[in-house]
Amino acid sequence: MSRPTRIAYGFLAPGLLLFAVYRLYPLLEGLRLSFTNARLGRASEQWIGVANYTRLLADDRFHVSLWNTAFYTVASTLPILAVPLALALALNRGRLRTLLRSVFFFPFTLSVVTVGLAWLWLLDPVVGPFNYYLRSLGVPARSWLADPQTAMWTIILTTVWWVTGYYLVIYLAGLQDIPRDLYEAAALDGASGWRSFWAITLPLLRPVLLFVVVTHVIGSFQLFGQVFVLTGGGPGDATRTVVQHLYETAFQNFFQFGAASAMAWVLFAVILAFSVLQFRLLRGHTEY
Amino acid sequence: MPRGLRSVDRSSVALTVALLALAVLWLSPIAWVVVTSLKPAPDIIRLPPEWIPWPLTGDHYHEVLLGSSRTARIGRAFVNSLVVATGSVLLVLATSAMAAYPLARMRFPGRNLVFALLVGSLMIPNAVLLVPQYVLTQRLGWLSTYQGLIVPEAAMVFAFGVFLLRQFFVTMPRELEDAALIDGAGPWQVFSRIILPLSQPVLAALAIFAFRSAWNDFLWPLIAVNKPEMFPLPVALALLRSAYSAESYGPIMAGAALSALPLLVVFVVANRRIVEGVRLSGLKG
Repeated sequence: MSRPTRIAYGFLAPGLLLFAVYRLYPLLEGLRLSFTNARLGRASEQWIGVANYTRLLADDRFHVSLWNTAFYTVASTLPILAVPLALALALNRGRLRTLLRSVFFFPFTLSVVTVGLAWLWLLDPVVGPFNYYLRSLGVPARSWLADPQTAMWTIILTTVWWVTGYYLVIYLAGLQDIPRDLYEAAALDGASGWRSFWAITLPLLRPVLLFVVVTHVIGSFQLFGQVFVLTGGGPGDATRTVVQHLYETAFQNFFQFGAASAMAWVLFAVILAFSVLQFRLLRGHTEY
Repeated sequence: MPRGLRSVDRSSVALTVALLALAVLWLSPIAWVVVTSLKPAPDIIRLPPEWIPWPLTGDHYHEVLLGSSRTARIGRAFVNSLVVATGSVLLVLATSAMAAYPLARMRFPGRNLVFALLVGSLMIPNAVLLVPQYVLTQRLGWLSTYQGLIVPEAAMVFAFGVFLLRQFFVTMPRELEDAALIDGAGPWQVFSRIILPLSQPVLAALAIFAFRSAWNDFLWPLIAVNKPEMFPLPVALALLRSAYSAESYGPIMAGAALSALPLLVVFVVANRRIVEGVRLSGLKG
């Protein structure tokens, strides 16, 4: 090894060690575990081939969790794309941009537990203000989190409130990178605001939209904290998610590390498939 | 034209007013947490909701921080979270800056491979690593320890940090480095005396990002810590909830408000940096 190479790897060494031990090794070790019957405290684990995976095919609760997680991801994608985008467009035109941006961003600095506790209290079916104000508008009070019809939507609502500010900042940065003269040219040609939104803003924001969607999908498929605090997966299994199922399988239910690792890799495959799909959909036809 | 301008002006004022109203609504859940935490217990569940807590009380904070045995943990959890988040920030800054420097400014075999590996790893969902990470931490004897939280939390942010800093380092003019090298400075001096001091804004952005990530993480400490005195705040808060009956919102909200405090301070002091950090994080897409 030449001296410059040694120096370069000298600088890289601490980080690569951290990365290898706590990212790379767990990734591969997880794959290996998924083909074994490993459990906490079991002295010798055995290679059992794809048995953990075939067992997942028959695990109804896993199917329900996967379905709920996919439902959450798909149902929340549109609000997560649209709400911060609408806010960004409005903030870009109005005044007090910096102040308003800070206000909308603030919830994103909170932990998922803090967010969950705040909304649990707001949504309290008896003494919470949310239902009180709805009642005064003539909407009957309900336990939004205890009703299978509304529980997942309520989780989506709290999540939109939580993360909107983050995507807002990203959209605002994307909007600023669009050259002003494009809009001026469009206005001279008599294009309405709506028309230039479809013809200029949206196409030029495509890379930002792609980033937002992919980030959101990777995050959504790992939905756990909101559910843990707000519903515990209930009512019944109405809001049970894959990561919750994985967590319970690995850490509450006889520590079945092999079975939980198989779930983790199925989840990973689903996330990758969704991400690739979105790359295809959103990167495709850029020419217009 | 003046008439047109004025109507644009008026619509932008209307828009700003509407946005301000929405902003007030957006902050109301947080306001409600703080208001609740300052009310005497009987006032908390009174309807219609009272948004001005009067009389004020600090009892819930006192109870949560120092008081009864079931909540004695929140004060301790606050300290735990501070230790873990600070440790993780320092580890992330040191490792990512050192790794980003040769990736940005040196030519060596394997450079593209290393960088591709790090960027590719940004797609790995943390939840997928949960079980093997637990097994590893257990073997190291690090369960319920600070290092068992600090090191994995830092590892979660490391690759992103390298990416962020490399973007910044590549834009620095080469002359700075060349002049120092001619003066006989070694690579370490160039890194520590030239590159790092010029990178303070982006290092601050990364520090805030890493702090937020470690301060707020819930899933990893939930499984990696099983001694109550080692719980960080999110775990302690989630369990605090089950220690109380549903109506005892006062202490729970006091805990929630306390958990938001450090990032609120950072947020007010370094708003620009946070926004800059998020903006840069978006560029990776």
